[in-house]
Amino acid sequence: MYRDTSHKAFTNIGFTLYHVVSREMCLWDVNDGRCIEFTKLACAHTGIQFYQFTIGTEKEGRLLCNGHYPEILVVDATSLEVLYSLVSKICPDWISSMSIIRSHRTQEDTVVAVSVTGILKVWIITAEVSKMQDLDPVFEEESKPIYCQGCQSISFCSFTQSSLLVVCSKYWRVFDAGDYSLLCSVASESDQSWTGGEFVAADKVIIWTEDGCSYIYKLPASCLSASEHFRSDIGKTKEGSIPPLIYKIAERADKQLLICPPVTRFFFGRREPFHKLLIQGDSAGRLSLWSVPDSTPRQTLQVSSTISLQEAFDKLKPVSAGIIDQLSVLPGKEEPIKVTASVYIPSQGRLVCGREDGSIILVPATQTAIVQLLQGEHMLRRGWPPHRTLRGHRNKVTCVLYPYQVSARYDQRSLVSGGVDFSVIVWDIFTGEMKHIFCVHGGEITQLIVPPENCSTRVQHCVCSVASDHSVGLLSLRERKCIMLASRHLFPIQVIKWRPADDYLVVGCSDGSVYVWQMDTGALDRCVMGITAVEILNACDELAPATVDALSHSAVNLKQAMTRRSLAALKNMAQHKLQTLATNLLAADNADKVTTALITFRNTRKQTSLETGGARRGNSSPGGQFAAGSSEVPASPAAHHLGQVCFTKKRLQGQSYRKPSSTLAPRGLQFDTCGLVLSSSVSFQESLLRQLSLATGRKLTLSDIVGKGAYGLSRAVTTQHLLSVISLANTLMGMTNATFVGEHMKKAPASLCGATPPPSPSPSLRASIADISVIKR
Amino acid sequence: MLYLVLSCNSSPLVQMPEEEFNWLLKEEVHAVLKQLQDVLKEASRRFCMPSPGLESQLKQENFILGSSTYGTLRCCLFMLGFSPQDINLKIAKSSQVLHFQFREDKQWKLQQIQDARNHVNQALQLLSSRDETYHFKTGAEVNKLMDAVMLQLTRARNRLTTPASMTLPELATSGLMKMFTPPMPGDAMINFYINLSKLCLTVYQLHVLPPNTTKNFRPAGSSVLHNPGAMFELNNNRFEVSHVHKVECVVPWLNDTLVFFTISLQLCQQLKDKISVFSSFWNYRPF
Repeated sequence: MYRDTSHKAFTNIGFTLYHVVSREMCLWDVNDGRCIEFTKLACAHTGIQFYQFTIGTEKEGRLLCNGHYPEILVVDATSLEVLYSLVSKICPDWISSMSIIRSHRTQEDTVVAVSVTGILKVWIITAEVSKMQDLDPVFEEESKPIYCQGCQSISFCSFTQSSLLVVCSKYWRVFDAGDYSLLCSVASESDQSWTGGEFVAADKVIIWTEDGCSYIYKLPASCLSASEHFRSDIGKTKEGSIPPLIYKIAERADKQLLICPPVTRFFFGRREPFHKLLIQGDSAGRLSLWSVPDSTPRQTLQVSSTISLQEAFDKLKPVSAGIIDQLSVLPGKEEPIKVTASVYIPSQGRLVCGREDGSIILVPATQTAIVQLLQGEHMLRRGWPPHRTLRGHRNKVTCVLYPYQVSARYDQRSLVSGGVDFSVIVWDIFTGEMKHIFCVHGGEITQLIVPPENCSTRVQHCVCSVASDHSVGLLSLRERKCIMLASRHLFPIQVIKWRPADDYLVVGCSDGSVYVWQMDTGALDRCVMGITAVEILNACDELAPATVDALSHSAVNLKQAMTRRSLAALKNMAQHKLQTLATNLLAADNADKVTTALITFRNTRKQTSLETGGARRGNSSPGGQFAAGSSEVPASPAAHHLGQVCFTKKRLQGQSYRKPSSTLAPRGLQFDTCGLVLSSSVSFQESLLRQLSLATGRKLTLSDIVGKGAYGLSRAVTTQHLLSVISLANTLMGMTNATFVGEHMKKAPASLCGATPPPSPSPSLRASIADISVIKR
Repeated sequence: MLYLVLSCNSSPLVQMPEEEFNWLLKEEVHAVLKQLQDVLKEASRRFCMPSPGLESQLKQENFILGSSTYGTLRCCLFMLGFSPQDINLKIAKSSQVLHFQFREDKQWKLQQIQDARNHVNQALQLLSSRDETYHFKTGAEVNKLMDAVMLQLTRARNRLTTPASMTLPELATSGLMKMFTPPMPGDAMINFYINLSKLCLTVYQLHVLPPNTTKNFRPAGSSVLHNPGAMFELNNNRFEVSHVHKVECVVPWLNDTLVFFTISLQLCQQLKDKISVFSSFWNYRPF
């Protein structure tokens, strides 16, 4: 089954948030973003509503869910367990929308729902029913066809308690809440399609559309229970009584296409200036809020407040840096050339970046990271770090693959890349020579895959390419030709699986069909769909041996441990990861593996490393309030001492610098990596401390954080932070007497940096590290 | 599929795709939408919608489910719409004919069919929201509509092609088991489902495992069809499936609808492919 995110429903109650994606339902803690509960049902939900039962003094939360099933499921709000269901006896069908009506007079609450065929259903929930725990269904109390197909929303008038608003995509109607007779019906204008509505006052309704407009209508007298004309129009022609449109709420300014209609809700605010609120959120990441006045404004109502994710990103300064930005900025252009595909080769410490102009850049990973993260002598050089550019693709590079990294059976020299120019190019990574161009596909290359180990020898020297014209090719790197092209697929390719023992290539398409190809002959063996297709795909998984390499495997395990929330597994994994991390760091040739992990944090760290530099220079730093804050909050001893590791610009300037070319190279990869790790993690910790101090209003040290827990920060995030702190601690403890100040640096005048660089981590640092490592046990 | 000459130097060729794309948005898209609507209306008609109050107009269908080779199980099923009304079961081994009627006070229907029908109707609603007068401005807009329609169609088709896999206790407590008069004997379980265009009936004969059995008890997982020897626990009793009888019968109109679904999915995808040719052509700007 394929998951989709088209059906989402949100409801926010206190500090918890319920989220439904297709058949999954999650309960989130909005304080720290953790998923507290997770359930998966056999059927897909489309709507969800919170409801609080009051049994005597006890209050229990329930969720009512409707969706692609013919009943309403009542779910416990904390355990997400299905308690019972509301079932229809007459014409059971999917429920398209529902509403809960609370009556103050009796203990009974009613659930009013409309089925997809336009039948109104009423269930009564009494105290006994709400106590019921077994799976006996509750049947409906009333069932009446109201001929509202494609119902979008149903809401009850809380002012008069006597009318119901039903919004369908092409019209909206008002019904009497007592006997459900039609009071008025309004058709939509040509292109509009309604998605929901609500009563704003006893005589006003607000209706919103699929493209985010909202309209406020005044109801005719026949719909108002206070009026003498109430119910006077029943049975008469509905067209005569079109209520006047009072005013309109301004449309979105940017007419960009949204993936799905925006979600609009009407709320009654608690405080005066915003008494009646209309809130809208859309798939472009924009949240808008209107305060709905009781008086009639002259023209369309303007938005009271609006914010979008893009605006927030635009405000970000400094902008997060790309890993090879220094090589990608063209003269005369603002934006660097975008990196569109990349692969990291740990065995050579090299990063391969395919770019949107069709070129591929090979750079030493550590050095390019240092350029982005640290200040130092390298800043004086042009075209640093040393790199190689491969030119061959005529447009965007979409995927890069280094097959030797996956399996040693491939030539160590070959690098494979695919682009939107339909071509797959084989490169010699050492000489930069273009070895071969495959032009077999009729569409953009979307994926390059390495076949599993136990394929036939011929296939073992192939890479598998997937293109957007729904074709799959097996391209032999040794023979330099395409040995198979499977191109009969009618739908986009979703998954490639292998049955090496049977010499089969299994292609799963987006429509659920599965094509089985014989790799040797290129013949289509079978094309199946439905349950057989699912079985074939599952069977491939069972047979497949673990081809993933050890590093990514442990990452997967860690992720699993996180999702299962198993403490033991997490601890075990953390232990394991730390050990490998420590050994990697100390072993020279593997030293740079950690950089991949570090690069993900690059933005935070870069920012802070710049700030520390700024603060130490004593200049007014453009970093703003953070830098100012750092002068008040004394940095932890650890950060202070290790902070010297960052080569500050001042030190460089103060020094007469004579031999720039020879300094970085001899110290080598190991040195670079360690320098990078230490300086970035120090500033990272520093920023963490500073943020915590700002948040709590107290002066904190590292041991404070670790000793006393989260300080209101997200628990999930802190676990990650802790892991990084622990890994840093382990690294530092493993490296006694290590120094990162080269010989040439030691000659620098002491007055320039304020204090002499310590030859080894200070005792206070050791102490705080020892504190951290306690957590590990 | 449509292929374009990828040449950016001569100006007539640069302008041509623009015109062709406009034609695609103005003419071709609506032609495809019309065709899709026709196909889906035809599919929807097969589901013989029981509109409220018109139940009597539904035609009754009789299905004889049986396998001629073994002949251990024969089943006659009378269906009204997609609610079975009457069922005759004959299991050869026991040489007794079991006759059940579906209880009138409860309604049970093949949910798969109702779900498929609803998905098709939602797809039709999406299509009808964009009639000939609607002017598509961008390819993304067409793709968005196609994605929404295809989602509904894939779901409709999946409902028919992938029957729910259930565990045996789920099956035993399902609504279907309580639907019969006289009630099902305790040592038998029954399951109805649609697989592709076939109506399938499975009868499981059970025997109770004695509490002190030496057999290794391992409850069976969920599956569409369980094999003999599958075990499960229900109300502190352990059961084992001793015999499985499976019979099926082709429902011709279901076959038609599946064909219609496949055709319309392909139409949608082809339209998307046509648009993607243009979008990749324009993405292909020289550096």
